[in-house]
This record gives sequence, structure tokens and C-alpha cells, in this order.
Amino acid sequence: MNASLSDLQKKFQDRLLKGETAIDAHLTDGGPFMKAYDHAYKARLVEILTEEFEGLHTLLGDEQFFSTLSEYVDAFPSTEKSARWLGRHLPGWLKSSERWGQQPVVASMAAFEWMIGLAFDAPDAKLIGVAEIGKVPPEAWPMLTFTFHPALNTVELDFDVSAFYQAAKAEEDPDGPPVAYEQPVTWAAWRDPEAMIVTYRPLDLDEAMALKAAREGQTFDGICEIVADHTDADEAAVRAAGLLRIWVESGWVIGLDAEGMSW
Amino acid sequence: MALEGFGLGLRPQHFPDILGDDPDATAGVDWFEIISENFINVGGPPLRNMMLVRERFPMVMHGVSLSIGSTDPLDMDYLAGLKALADLVEPELISDHLCWTGVHGLNMHDLLPLPMTEETVEHVAGRVRQVQDYLGRQFMLENASTYVTFEEDEMTEWAFLSAICERADCNILLDVNNIYVSGFNHGFSTDAYLNGVPAECIKQIHLAGHEHNGDYIVDTHDEPVPDYVLALYEKAIDRFGMVPTMIERDANIPPFAELVRELQGVRRIVEERRTMVLA
Repeated sequence: MNASLSDLQKKFQDRLLKGETAIDAHLTDGGPFMKAYDHAYKARLVEILTEEFEGLHTLLGDEQFFSTLSEYVDAFPSTEKSARWLGRHLPGWLKSSERWGQQPVVASMAAFEWMIGLAFDAPDAKLIGVAEIGKVPPEAWPMLTFTFHPALNTVELDFDVSAFYQAAKAEEDPDGPPVAYEQPVTWAAWRDPEAMIVTYRPLDLDEAMALKAAREGQTFDGICEIVADHTDADEAAVRAAGLLRIWVESGWVIGLDAEGMSW
Repeated sequence: MALEGFGLGLRPQHFPDILGDDPDATAGVDWFEIISENFINVGGPPLRNMMLVRERFPMVMHGVSLSIGSTDPLDMDYLAGLKALADLVEPELISDHLCWTGVHGLNMHDLLPLPMTEETVEHVAGRVRQVQDYLGRQFMLENASTYVTFEEDEMTEWAFLSAICERADCNILLDVNNIYVSGFNHGFSTDAYLNGVPAECIKQIHLAGHEHNGDYIVDTHDEPVPDYVLALYEKAIDRFGMVPTMIERDANIPPFAELVRELQGVRRIVEERRTMVLA
């Protein structure tokens, strides 16, 4: 028995992930307590995910929830240093999975909960105030771009899961199942800068499209054009400026730039 | 300022007690230990509350994901996050476990056992030196609870830990519960362990509870520290002197006041030993 460290680690990990037994010959007395590692791996990951997805747990019930998480853990062995990020692939996996792909309410709930988790503990950043917007000179506005707070996140949902989620979090009986939208609706979640409480709301279609473009680096002029597709052309700039004011007052905006112009 | 006295692991459910108006709530708690990963690249309420505690108490940082024994390259993004957190927290001590947590880019989120060989000693010591160079300070390794050993083993666990610390010039976070757990699981002498590690390197002690399954013990941190672990702790302080000591509780977490009472019991043990020595 003179296996290298890397060989032993590969065999050990293969036992945890795939149940392969090549490591057993290297364990003293065959490793009678190896079960302590075997059981810990999946149990620990599922336990962590359970804390992150309380709404999904209520929606699916114990049996379906735990078997779904078990499948997910098998499909996505963790590459994360912090267990905090274990659930990052869950919404997308649910949406495309054979088991849940035809029931979009499941992916909607997971995506909603993941977004709220991100808003809760995303890194802090210094906000732009309304007063700073007022200092932007008129000639800078057309090319003005925005940087957003890391706690601001959006998801497009097929179901309104918010009331069901709130009931689950409060350990109360939901009034009814989540309600399907006729068309997907974008929701935003962020952290109130003063109270540090996570807040969320659905966005109108023009705001959702404007915000998506702004987060991708679109200029204020470009945002006005997007808004103009949803309103009278002569009201687009007013609507876009109004949206910007809401975003700033909500604590979403942390940076302004206009091709390096300073003011 | 060197760390002194008795501490607790900082857990989110205890923030209201620690940061509340009652100064007696934390009486007897000299410092707190944070889990590093919980605050790397994180903001919002978790970071704000932790820093409010930091304003009032000395702190140490304890990691679970460095994977110092893995044959994967050290994760420099993780180390950068650890360093940034250390710059913010200014901890008295920084530690992680003598273990590995995954290879081939994966993380098993468990403290996995290392074969105790010369190859591993050299491998780990080199990586600890790399970590210390990067952080610009000494690092501590904690002995982990283990449930298997390897046919490849060439030395005892205490010889393994001691050799790494000597070669890397690092310190030891001695987990007395883990010595008990591994000693029971593998049938080694816990006294020999205490006598076999270099006293001058022991800078912090962990105490915790565990789950006894009859023929083996699992290190669960979900129960009070049992009396037989406290008895081993008495032997540890007889040998090492008063080393900053804390209780870890990671599951089945009781009200904060209960942990404070348990910690006061640990303090009494140390004070009684001191009185006996002086008498």
C-alpha cells in the first residue's frame, strides 16, 4: 500500500460522490466507520439547501422536496468554497428538469427565493443620492450610464409566488397556491439601505426592460428609446427620468458615468 | 494584544443577545470566533452585525474551506477573500483545519482525513508557508475529528500535526473534543496525544459536544461539552497552561444564556486548577 496523496483523495472523493469502493482497500480494517463520511456529504448539503428554500419546501412537501434536492446534489456536486452558494443552479435546473420542467411554478418559487437570498447578504456598496443625479449637467445625460447595487437582482417568473412564499416563511397556511401569470413578469428584490430589510416588487414591462438594459450598460438615451416603445414618444424622457428617480430612491444605484465626463 | 480568556463561536441567532441593551448578557465572554466563509464577499445584516460585535470584542477567524491538504492548487480567490476579511476584522488569530475538503475543483463541505505520511507532511507544510506568506502572518491548524485512518499511515496523528507545524512554522488550534473523538474511533491514547504536541505552538483550544454511536463517535457540535471531554481539557491545561478556550456549537443551538453558563463552567475548571496548583 503506497498510494500517493492525490490517488487516495481521488478514490475517497469517488466514494462520496459515486459510491465507488476503490478507497476501501486503503482504509485501516476496511474503514468500519466510513459511513460517517458517506452519510454526511449529501445530508449536509440537503440540510443547507433546506434553509435556503423554505417556500419550495412548503410547495412540494417533505417527500418531493427532499428527493428533488437529493437529485440536484447528485447533478451539481459543489464547486463552492462557501456552502452559501450551493443553490445557485437550482432554479435553472428545475426549469429544465424532466421532473419539474412542465410545472413552472416550482422553478418560479426557487428563483424567487434565490433572488431574495442574494439581496439579503450581497456585498455593501455606497449609494448615489437624488442630489447627485441633480448635479449631472444636461450635456451628459444622453450618454449617462449606471452601476447598480449588488443586492439588486431580478427574475422573470411564470407564477406570482410572493404571497405563498411569505406564508411559508411565517410558517402559516398559504391562502392558496401561487397564481399563474398570462405572461412572465419580472420581479426585483433589493435591500433597503437604511433598515437592511429585503424588499421586492413586480416591475411593469417598460420598467423591467429599461432596468435590464441599464444594468447591461445602456445609456440614458437608449433607455428612453426602450421606454418610448411603451408610451407616447414625447413622454418617454419623463417616464425614464421618473424610473431613474425611483431606482435611486430605492437604493439601487451606486454609480453614474458619462464617458469619463466629470461634474 | 494577545488573546486571553474564554470565547464562544458567533452564531447569527445570538446577535440580539450580544448586541442588546443588557451588558450582563455577555458577562464572562471575552471574545468571539467567526466562521470565515460566512463573511467572505458578504454584506448586509450578517456583516453589519458581525462588525458591531467586533467593535466590542476581540475576534478570531476560523475557516472550514481552505482545504490545506488537498492536492488541488490553493484557491487564490478564496485566499484573497480571506485576506480582505482579515484586513477588515483584524482578528487576533486565523485558523483552519488539518484536512482536505475536495479535489478536481469540487468541495465536499466536510473535513476529510489525510493519510499521515511524509509526503503529506511536506505537501501541507509547503502550502501553510504559502498561506502565511500571502496573509503576512502566522496561521493555525486545527486537528480534525476523523473516522478512518489509512493503510499508508507512517506516523501517529500527534507526530503528523507536530511535524507540519515545525516545518511550516505555524501554530496549533487544539480541539480537545476532536482528540477525544479520534482517540475513541481509532483507539489511541489521548494522554499520548497531549504529551506529543509542542506546547509552545498551542494558541487556542476548542471544546464541543458530539454524538456517541456506541462503537464510534461523530463530531456533531450539537450537545454540551461532556464531562469526559472536560476531564481531558483539565489535562490539557495542566500541560499547556491557560490557553484561550472556546465552546463551539453548530447545531441544536441553545439560547445564548445557556452557552454563557456553559462557558462559565469551563472558566471555573481553569480557576480551580489554578487554585490547586497554587496551593
